[in-house]
Amino acid sequence: MQNTAIKVQNIGKKYLINHQNKDAEESLVRSIFKGAKKIINSSNKKTIEDFWALQDINFEIKKGDRVGIIGRNGAGKSTLLKILSRIVKPTTGKIEYYGRMASLLEVGTGFHGDLSGRENIFLNGSILGMSKNEIEKQFDEIVAFSEVEQFLDTPVKRYSSGMYVRLAFAVAAHLNPEILIVDEVLAVGDAAFQKKCLGKMNDISKEGDKTILFVSHSMQAVQKLCNKGIYLSKGKLIEYNSIENIVNLYLQSGEQAQSNYKLQKPDNESNGFAHNVFIEDEYGKPLVEIPVGSNWRVRICFTILKKLEHFIGGMGIVSALDLPVRTSWSIPQIINPGEYEIIFTNNDLMLTTGTYKLVIGLSNNEITFHYNDSTVSIVISDAGDTATNNRIVNTQSGLILNPMQVTLNKIN
Amino acid sequence: MKTVITSEDKSFLRLNEIIAYKSLIKHLSLRDLKVRYKQTWLGFSWSVIRPLVNIIIFGALSLLINKETSITQNFITVSSVVIFWQLISTVITDVSNSLVSNSNILTKVYFPKIILPISSVTISLVDFIIAFVIFLIPTFILLGSPPWQIILVPFIILYALFFSISIGLFFATASVKFRDVKFLLPFILQIAFYAIPVFIPTSKFLSLNIPDIFKTIYFLNPFVGIINLFKYSLFGVYDGPNTTFLLINAATIIVLSILSIRYFLKFEKSFADYI
Repeated sequence: MQNTAIKVQNIGKKYLINHQNKDAEESLVRSIFKGAKKIINSSNKKTIEDFWALQDINFEIKKGDRVGIIGRNGAGKSTLLKILSRIVKPTTGKIEYYGRMASLLEVGTGFHGDLSGRENIFLNGSILGMSKNEIEKQFDEIVAFSEVEQFLDTPVKRYSSGMYVRLAFAVAAHLNPEILIVDEVLAVGDAAFQKKCLGKMNDISKEGDKTILFVSHSMQAVQKLCNKGIYLSKGKLIEYNSIENIVNLYLQSGEQAQSNYKLQKPDNESNGFAHNVFIEDEYGKPLVEIPVGSNWRVRICFTILKKLEHFIGGMGIVSALDLPVRTSWSIPQIINPGEYEIIFTNNDLMLTTGTYKLVIGLSNNEITFHYNDSTVSIVISDAGDTATNNRIVNTQSGLILNPMQVTLNKIN
Repeated sequence: MKTVITSEDKSFLRLNEIIAYKSLIKHLSLRDLKVRYKQTWLGFSWSVIRPLVNIIIFGALSLLINKETSITQNFITVSSVVIFWQLISTVITDVSNSLVSNSNILTKVYFPKIILPISSVTISLVDFIIAFVIFLIPTFILLGSPPWQIILVPFIILYALFFSISIGLFFATASVKFRDVKFLLPFILQIAFYAIPVFIPTSKFLSLNIPDIFKTIYFLNPFVGIINLFKYSLFGVYDGPNTTFLLINAATIIVLSILSIRYFLKFEKSFADYI
C-alpha cells in the first residue's frame, strides 16, 4: 500500500520583479517601444530582478498527516499552496501526489452575487471539482451546515456577509478529497462560526486517511488541527517536524518582528485610515525586539479625511495563543481632517517573553472604520539583563511578570 | 491515482480530463445565461429584440445599397449574413474575454483552463438559435420551403464555430498579458465585417474594376468562403470561391487553429502568474 500522500522535490518558484516601472501590466505599445529601445541602445540598464519566492523545498507527507504551514507574511506559504494545488507552476522541481486533491484558497470562489444560494452551491461545487452526483447527494447536509435554508432562493448579494461565508464554507467542507489544502479561510466569519469550521475540519481529518495542509496565522488553530508542521522563512524550508516543535521554534525565532508595519487600507476609507505602526522604546527609538521588563510604546500614524465628532483610537494586545491580554483606548474627541499619530506607552505591564499580536482599531460614533488584527505583532525577548531575568522563572509562571505585593507574616 | 507536477511549460489537451469537468462547463454556461438578464425589465425578450432590430436595420440598409435584385431576396440574404456574422463575432469576443473575465476563478482553483473558452460559447449559440428561428419564419413565408441544402446548416455552423473559437483562443491567451486585446479586437471585427460579403455578393465584387490581387486576397479570407457556404445551404445557390480556394481556406483554418491551440497550451500553466 502506498504510504506517501505528497512528495515534494526541490521545488522553487521564481518571479521577475520589475524595478523601475512598477505597473506589472505591460501595455503592448510599451513593450514594442521597449523592444525598439533595446535594439537602439544595447547597453540598456537591467531593471528586472529575479526573486525566488520559494527555493529548494523538499518534504514528504504521509497519508493521514495534518500539516500546518507557518511563517511570516511573504515567507512563501501561499506560493507553496498555489503550486501544490496546480494554480501556478513551479520554476524548478517536481511534486508527486496520490489521490484526489481539492484546494480551498478562498471561501466562495466563483460565487456570483446574482445567483441564488441554491445555484451557487452547484456552481461553486463544480468549480471545486465536485461532480453533479456528489453535490446532489450532499446538498441537504450543505444547506443544514450553512444555516441558510430560508434564503436558499435569494440572490447571494442580498445575504449578510456572515451568511455568505457560511454558505461558501459549507460547500467546501463537503468536498470529499483525499488531500485537502486550506489557506486561512478561517480568518473570516464570526468566532462561533470559526469554531464550527475548525470542528468540521477536525472531523474531516479524523475520517481515515485524509491528508490536510493548512496555512494559518493562528497558532492556536494550527496546534489544534495539525500533528505536523512546516516552518517557512524567506522562501526556504527551515524545519519539518511535529507541530509542537514547529510552533515553539517559530514563536522563539521572533520572526514576526519588525519595528515598522505598513497597514492595508480598509475597504471603506471615507473617514480615514491608519497606515503605519511603529514599535519603539519610550524615547522613540525603533525596536525590533522589546527586551523583557523595559518600557515600550506603539505609535500608530493615521490619516483623517473628514471631521469626526466622536473619535476613539484603540489598541489591544493578544497573546500568541489568541488570549486577549489588554486593551486601551483614547478619550473620545472631535478631530479635523489631517495626519495624526496616537501613542500607546507601556510602562506598567511586564509581559513575559514571546510574540504578541497587536489589534488596532479606529472608530467614530462607536463604529469602527479601520480594524486590523493580522498585521502587527511585537516580540518580547530575553533581555540578557540579570536584574529582570531573575524574575523570569519560566513562561509557565504566566504572561504577566509584575510581581504582586507579597507579604509574609508570622501569625503564631 | 498519481499526479505529477513539474516545472515544464507544455501542457496537453486531455480529453478525459475535460469530460471529467463537464459539470463545470454546464454550470459556467448556466451562470452566464442566468446572470445575463438579471435585473432587466424585458429579461429574456432581449434575446429576441436584438436580432430582430438588427435584421430590420440591415435589411433596410441593403435596400438602399443594392437595387438590382428583388427586394425580398435582398432583405433575406442580408439578414441571414447579419445573424450569422453576429454569431461569429460574439463567439470571437466572448472566447477572447473568457480568461480575463474569470480571473477570480483562474487564480484560486485548478481546472483545465480550456473549460472557460468552451463554456463562454453557450450564450452566443443560444442567441444565434433564437435569431435563426426568427429569421426562418419570414423566410419560409416569403420564399416558400427551403432547398434540401438546409441540412448542411449545422455542419457549416460547426465549421464556423471551430474557426471562431480558435481565433478567440489566440486573443484570449494574448489578453492574459496584453489587455490591449480588449481595445484592438472590436476594430478588427468591425473591419472584418466590411470585408465579407454582406451587402455586396461575391459575384458582384468580382465584376468590380479592381486589380486582381485584391480579389485573391478577398478569396484567401476564410470567412468569405464560410459565409457563402452558409448562404448556399439556405438558398441553394452558390456564389463563392471555387474548390481550390475553399481547400486553401480549410488548410488556413486548420493551420491557424493548431497554432492558436499550441499558443494557448504553452502559456496555460502561467496564466495565474500573469493575469
